[in-house]
Amino acid sequence: MSSSSVTVVEERILQYGRKEKLSWWGKTKNFRTAMLYLFPSILLFSIFLFYPMLRTVYLSFFLTDAQGVASLFVGFENFAYILQSSVFRKSMVSTLLFVLYTVPSSVIIALFLALLANEKLRGIGFFRTILSSTMGMSVAASAVIWLFLFHPTVGILNSFLNIIGISSIPWLLDPQWALISIAITTVWMNTGFAFLVILGGLQNIDQHLYENAEIDGAKYRYQLRRITLPMLSPTLFFIITITFINSFQSFGQVDILTQGGPAEATNLIVYAIYRDAFINYQFGTASAQALILFILVFGLTILQFKFGEKRVHYQ
Amino acid sequence: MKKMIYTIILLVLMVGMLVACGNEEEAASETPGTSGEENTDNNSEENTANNAENNTDSNEKNANESEASGSEPQTIEFWHGMGGGLGETLDELVEQYNASQDDVEIVAEFQGSYEELLTKFRSVGGTTDAPALVQVFEVGTKYMIESGYTTPVQEWIDKDGYDVSQLEENILSYYTVDGDLHSMPFNSSTPALFYNKDAFEEAGLDPENPPRTFSEIEEAAELLTVSEGGETSQYGFSMLGHGWFFEQMISTQGQDFVNEANGRDGNATEAEFGGEEGLKVFEWINSMHKAGSYEYYGQNWDDIRAAFQAGQVAMYMDSSAGTKDTIANAPFDVGVAFVPHADDIDPQGVIIGGASIWMANGITEEEQAAAWEFMKHLQTAEVQADWHVNTGYFAINPAAYDEAIVTEEHEEFPELRVPIEQLQETVPSSATQGALIAVFPEARQQVVSAFEAMYQGMSPEEALNQAIEATNHAIETYNRTATEE
Repeated sequence: MSSSSVTVVEERILQYGRKEKLSWWGKTKNFRTAMLYLFPSILLFSIFLFYPMLRTVYLSFFLTDAQGVASLFVGFENFAYILQSSVFRKSMVSTLLFVLYTVPSSVIIALFLALLANEKLRGIGFFRTILSSTMGMSVAASAVIWLFLFHPTVGILNSFLNIIGISSIPWLLDPQWALISIAITTVWMNTGFAFLVILGGLQNIDQHLYENAEIDGAKYRYQLRRITLPMLSPTLFFIITITFINSFQSFGQVDILTQGGPAEATNLIVYAIYRDAFINYQFGTASAQALILFILVFGLTILQFKFGEKRVHYQ
Repeated sequence: MKKMIYTIILLVLMVGMLVACGNEEEAASETPGTSGEENTDNNSEENTANNAENNTDSNEKNANESEASGSEPQTIEFWHGMGGGLGETLDELVEQYNASQDDVEIVAEFQGSYEELLTKFRSVGGTTDAPALVQVFEVGTKYMIESGYTTPVQEWIDKDGYDVSQLEENILSYYTVDGDLHSMPFNSSTPALFYNKDAFEEAGLDPENPPRTFSEIEEAAELLTVSEGGETSQYGFSMLGHGWFFEQMISTQGQDFVNEANGRDGNATEAEFGGEEGLKVFEWINSMHKAGSYEYYGQNWDDIRAAFQAGQVAMYMDSSAGTKDTIANAPFDVGVAFVPHADDIDPQGVIIGGASIWMANGITEEEQAAAWEFMKHLQTAEVQADWHVNTGYFAINPAAYDEAIVTEEHEEFPELRVPIEQLQETVPSSATQGALIAVFPEARQQVVSAFEAMYQGMSPEEALNQAIEATNHAIETYNRTATEE
């Protein structure tokens, strides 16, 4: 990157010298070269991202008929309907709560496990594999496992609670519990990936820093606070952002565990979009919701960068 | 800053994926929707001309076979949503048919749940990729009729002079619109009340005389509820979180679900279950729930079945299709009874559920003829007897009930007779014919949400109103786009 910017600067200087001689064709040479290099990705992005996005914007202004074809232009009616609808508001609240439940706990648990697994002990490779193993599980498979654990009648969690004298918990049947149950499942699924990334970050920290600190007599907790966490901050920032966006887009576990119920308590926004689009065949309102979700996540991510990135220490 | 740009791109990518998912479907279904019929007609002519070639293209396995044998059976694709044991039974039926003759080979393909199946069919409907036969659940009936992708089976009934009167009238009526039978019923069931006979005896109730009315059920549920120190080990009654059961209790009171004679005289414009009929049901469930004799086990069929099998609930409603399994699996004696009805009314009977088989119109006349032969084959008493015994679904052809395997089965499980009697006692009317609305899946979801809101403390009136308003909104939105064309 740096060498290319040097050539750009050189070229600019050269161009400045013979400014009046350059035609429009010559002046846009850099731009055209850049476009040539960017062409493959622009093409792919256009086909798989920009076009669908524009279609979504287009559809959000229409009502669709039974075939899913945009047939009636309604302007902002879809948005107005959604914003007034109590179902959508409830869905937003559930989604925000869900993000709140899952993001901090996923990252903290993964960080804790990664710190443990970062110790050099015999057989630590085994634990590292086990702790990151949920990464290899598909959402569907993990959700089905939890479906059996949460089962109201034959679920092992309730049997266990009964053994230690606690009465059964209606995991997926009570609106308050259902969201927590889905959050537990999601945290469990998130941990593997977060663990692996954080462990990688920990291994990247220069060992000399710890050696120096030890010579200075710094204790473990002081090292953790002053060396590990600051040096790990880019990794943590990355994993927080990813987990955050993933949480907003959780779908599979909702579909398998609760189908948005009970009483719409787990009707997270992406599930609500799915339901509108593929069960009710209302692509218009579904697109409008997708756009609102996009704007929301986009805004929150920018805020996160604005305030979070300041605390990040790049080496 | 560089990192920020990367992450934003990543973010856009992720949200974009989601949007793309939603859009793909739309884009795919747009093509057949706008110009599908024209294409179809052209294609069918072409197909007739190049029939042999077309078949070779469409099925590689078939092509290989034909190279070996020289003569080529016609391939008929049949999409269905029968998973697990049902799928195995269906595959056996198809295999038997394929082995019984050389002209046609039926290729049965499992396409996932009814919803997934319909979504897939929506995207290929009207094109040459569409299957010749497709199984669609009962609430998709209105959509299928309006889709323009299907040929009503009535055409072939008329052409062939097939005698439909041999089939069960109360099942045919669901799929009959404006006097025409649109699809061939295949797997039909109704709900029934299942109860634990052992628990009845323990509670001092007569297991041979099950409760029928709302208040009888409520009294029995009270007696059947067993609790010790605040912990309830057995609840009296439960109902699955599924709109189907609510619809039954509306229909048995002789009330239409929507206006325009349940959407059969014209496009329904308003939900009609919000009157005293609907309120009776909501209040009945609410009062049991408040009294602690009712427990809710969610929207999953398996969960409520497991609760019944484990003795946690003494009475519940289930599909008649599960009768045999329920009886065979239960460690206690199971009784089967008619669905409950409101007090002081003459019960009108039940609406069937399940699915029927539709014939696509994007195929050649020959293929349709072959598909029709297979449909007729499925309706023979022999096949229906087999189907009924192995799955628990009704026999569409009542003659099947006289087949030896069925009578033996009924002797062993006399409870299997109960849903059949219930169906045959049903009084034909628009209410028991079942509603015909395109937004049925949504309406059902709204009813379930209303019940769930009520379990959380909402009053029955408010919950019912919520369901009515949401259903009306769905119907209204649908009608605005439907009348546009």
